[in-house]
Amino acid sequence: MEIYVLVKQVPDPEALIKVKSDSELEIENKYFTNFFDEFAIEAGLKLKEKFGGKVTVLTVDNKKVDALRRGIAMGADDAIQITDPALEGSDQFAIAKALAAYLKDKPFDLILAGRQAMDDDAGIVGPAVAELLGIPHVNTILGLEVDDPKKGVKVIREVEGGKEILSCSLPALFTCQKGLNNPRIPQVMNVMKAMKAQIKKMDLAALGLSAADAGGQAAKIKVQKYLPPPKRLPVKMIKEDFPENVKTLVKLLREEAKVI
Amino acid sequence: MPNEIWVLAEQVDGRVKKITFELLTAGAGFSKKTNQAVGAVLLGNGLQEAVKSLTPYADKIYLIDDPALASYTSDAYLINMAPFIKEHQPSVLLGGATSTGKDLFPRLAMHLQTGYAPDCTGLTMEENGKLVAKRPLYGGKVFAEMAFSEAKPQMATVRNNTFLVNENLGKSAQVISISSHTDPSSLKKKVVGLEKAAGTKLDITEAEIVVAGGRGIKAPENFKIIEELADVLNASVGATRATVDEGWRDQKDQIGKSGKNISAKLYMAFGISGAIHHVLGIGTCKTVVAVDTDPNALIFNYADYGIVGDLFQIVPALTEELKKALTEK
Repeated sequence: MEIYVLVKQVPDPEALIKVKSDSELEIENKYFTNFFDEFAIEAGLKLKEKFGGKVTVLTVDNKKVDALRRGIAMGADDAIQITDPALEGSDQFAIAKALAAYLKDKPFDLILAGRQAMDDDAGIVGPAVAELLGIPHVNTILGLEVDDPKKGVKVIREVEGGKEILSCSLPALFTCQKGLNNPRIPQVMNVMKAMKAQIKKMDLAALGLSAADAGGQAAKIKVQKYLPPPKRLPVKMIKEDFPENVKTLVKLLREEAKVI
Repeated sequence: MPNEIWVLAEQVDGRVKKITFELLTAGAGFSKKTNQAVGAVLLGNGLQEAVKSLTPYADKIYLIDDPALASYTSDAYLINMAPFIKEHQPSVLLGGATSTGKDLFPRLAMHLQTGYAPDCTGLTMEENGKLVAKRPLYGGKVFAEMAFSEAKPQMATVRNNTFLVNENLGKSAQVISISSHTDPSSLKKKVVGLEKAAGTKLDITEAEIVVAGGRGIKAPENFKIIEELADVLNASVGATRATVDEGWRDQKDQIGKSGKNISAKLYMAFGISGAIHHVLGIGTCKTVVAVDTDPNALIFNYADYGIVGDLFQIVPALTEELKKALTEK
């Protein structure tokens, strides 16, 4: 199977992120491979082990390629970086256009991505790429069963109140969620090798796109203003002994917070 | 043609989801300000009950009733909605940040070449009809106000429990039936089964009250006391990453960055230390209660009310106290 995995390097969940001004954030220099992308890479590698073929990791980023190296260390065969100064300020739709432009002539069976990137938390790029390529997509999958790729696949998707089981023809795009598998930890040897692996670079011209297709100008949606998270009032500690503290809590929830 | 504000209505077995009524209430506010009609867009099969409950909340109901739409797939919804959106040119299309909304809206927005703000926790409309969407970024470490380009419709999905529902909008919708474009043989994917989760509890993203346990619960069977408390409050039960990774609770109940973000009216955390992964998931809850034995637990920094104490003593007593209090009501 020919499998492509869309990956992204994002700030680590522990990284400090603060609003510097209306239009700027201060982001601590602590990055990791997007948590959900590792489930996608793992799913791709498992299918390659079963059916043969190739796994290629793909990112759109002008600077950070460590997610690609992580993919290679885990076992991906190839890594592609789409990079172009014109991509600065792109929204998710422009990123999807760049990815789809690269993928459209490739003989892919399956495209995998994470549920969402842990920076913009949008979950747009995956379904948008599927739309541009005219292939079906299923979001936030928890299960993927392939007996014969020619006959399509069975995927399990979480919905409110249960799990939905879908049959889907290939080629398709799925976004992956925690619970799908246990991503492998790459061996040190492979990490070293990945550090030296060659990453192929593509710019917009090579993809047949212009700056008008990507970048801030083309954005359909923009940050107008960054805001700090809403602040809670200082905690009210209920210091009475048991069981008075429980009675007080119920009273506060009813009379002060008015939530029950 | 005057502009309209549209809401994608979601229903299960004829029961319309609360988020739909929230969005119709918000839409009614925008419509007053900008003089636009509010339309509910309803797709599915056998929708009489849903139409009835939506009627007092919208000016129009656009209805596509077809057996092929009995369960949601993005293919079937897109084939039906795209031409009809292009024809009517609504100024806004809103949906819930639900498994359906998050699956459909990005694809539909790409198809329509328009802007989409996902998973919003607030929406406002300026007098010129421009939508401003507030949404968390980086798991809720910062928020952003998003502005849309001129492309229409301005699309957004909104978290459950963001708006209060106004049951007295006093509308009486005109129902407009649209013929279905669905050709089942052309669909590339179909739902072949649904495994219902045990019990009748709402998903933690939908519930107005969520109670959760962490490592302090000590053993999976001890979640029983949390469940009993949840029953009294008609709440859903959430869990931390640690308890999910231990296999004590299901992945679907995990709160936090690698699980779900919740916007409950009331969230109660028992035996939860308050790791950043977890507290990011509860940032938009209205009232937060924390109970933990450790007075220095980080969770207290993110709570409105705190008790330092033993959850095994406090939870059963709280259940009893609430039983009493809620029957007095």
